[in-house]
Amino acid sequence: MIQFSGVAKRYPGGHEALRAVTAKVDAGEMVAVTGHSGAGKSTLLKLAAGIERASSGSVVVSGQNLAALGETALAILRRRIGFVFQDHKLLFDRNAFENAALPLRIAGFQASETSSRVRAALDKVGLLGREKAMPIALSGGEQQRLCIARAIVGRPSILIADEPTGNLDADSAHAILDLFRAFHQVGVTVLLSTHDEAGLDRLACRRIALAHGAVAQTP
Amino acid sequence: MRALLRLHAFALGDALRRLAAQPLAAITSVLVLGLALALPVIGAMLLRSVSAATAQLDMDPHVNVYLTVDATDEDAKRVGDALRASPDAASVRFIPRAQALEELRASTHLAEILASLEKNPLPHAFTVRVRSAEPARLQTLKAEWSRLAKVDQVVAEFEWSDRLGRWLRFGERLVTVLAVLLAISVLFIVGHLIRLQVVTRRDEIEVSQLIGATAPDVRRPFLYHGAVQGLLAGTVAVVTAALLGAWLGAEVRALTPDYASDFKLLFLPVEVNLWMIGGTALLGLFGAWLAVDRELQRFAHR
Repeated sequence: MIQFSGVAKRYPGGHEALRAVTAKVDAGEMVAVTGHSGAGKSTLLKLAAGIERASSGSVVVSGQNLAALGETALAILRRRIGFVFQDHKLLFDRNAFENAALPLRIAGFQASETSSRVRAALDKVGLLGREKAMPIALSGGEQQRLCIARAIVGRPSILIADEPTGNLDADSAHAILDLFRAFHQVGVTVLLSTHDEAGLDRLACRRIALAHGAVAQTP
Repeated sequence: MRALLRLHAFALGDALRRLAAQPLAAITSVLVLGLALALPVIGAMLLRSVSAATAQLDMDPHVNVYLTVDATDEDAKRVGDALRASPDAASVRFIPRAQALEELRASTHLAEILASLEKNPLPHAFTVRVRSAEPARLQTLKAEWSRLAKVDQVVAEFEWSDRLGRWLRFGERLVTVLAVLLAISVLFIVGHLIRLQVVTRRDEIEVSQLIGATAPDVRRPFLYHGAVQGLLAGTVAVVTAALLGAWLGAEVRALTPDYASDFKLLFLPVEVNLWMIGGTALLGLFGAWLAVDRELQRFAHR
């Protein structure tokens, strides 16, 4: 489903975030990318989601080599991947419903279909009834759940989450990880990054450990 | 296809909502653009009116040659032959003094005064249509024909109408230049307003791009915003010009003496007004396109 082959990523300043990373995530699998801050976890996830492009090597997602895709094709591919951002990236001038509906609005869904899908997504993350709440009125855990609702509203086959439990208390973090486990159980391919050992034990999934931009181990 | 139509409908709705959300700013910008654009429209209306009024004037280049009052028929024949011999004369028409008096009597209210005169005060005259209206050549002809015996005056009477024609053509060019300058200003003003919108909505654009919005998806609502502003500005321009035109028309009618009562202020044809409104909408759209693309490139380079 996701294949990294000799992937390197260098930023314009010269910083090398990834070096010759080769790894694979099979369809329906749940994989955690681990490593210390600066190990390259976020960069790897962004490459998998087509948010950034690799400097060398290839990233193949659902059979498509991302390097061969133009900007428009890459944007359309991103619609098929749910991405949960570390900093949530919610729009603070829109309520919970409008935030969760954004991917469907971009894709041109009908209002009635959008409404039913958004309500279903908010229900899955436990935010049904908070549709009109503005993000500022939500707790950190609720904001993260809203971000997950936005990621799953398009019913993606791949769900990628960058440090989804960062800055959350233990209970909220466990609730979020349980959500990902539930998505995995219904066949969604889940790729997430975390440095939360307790959370990793709870997920009990395969790990890709990164250190200084390279794969340390792929058990 | 339906999804695309929905995207356009949503973008239009979004543009209208954003205009309605800041009514004062929206009205001010539309009025500024509309009133500025009204200037070339009014200019075009005035030119159209003057052109229509002068269309009836004899614009063919011709020269009137007046003989002295004591010139005889023999003198007139000799001058006529000399004029017809000139290569510059396309045609020569003789107007005997008796005929001139009759025409004067018929075309003015001076019949009683003319009847009281003991003798005809008008001279024999010739109207010569010339092949060239070039001023230097005309001066030469006037000097040459003035030297003929018994010729009193040589007058190129069409000179003023030729001058008027030149002024009209200059006016048309002036209105065109003004329209082009204002069109460019529409481009920049709408572009600037849209740029501000883009900067204000930077977070939304960034998030939208991250979750799958293509460049056309991002651009679309801003293009509608620019087009709607242009459309409204064009409408304001046309309506303002029409109202001012109606007022000016009434004023001109009140001021114009009877002998010029044919002068009417003409409005521009409906199709021209519609083109004007459509054109400003397109300008707004184009200005928005330039502004959004410029800002998107800036985002991309961050």
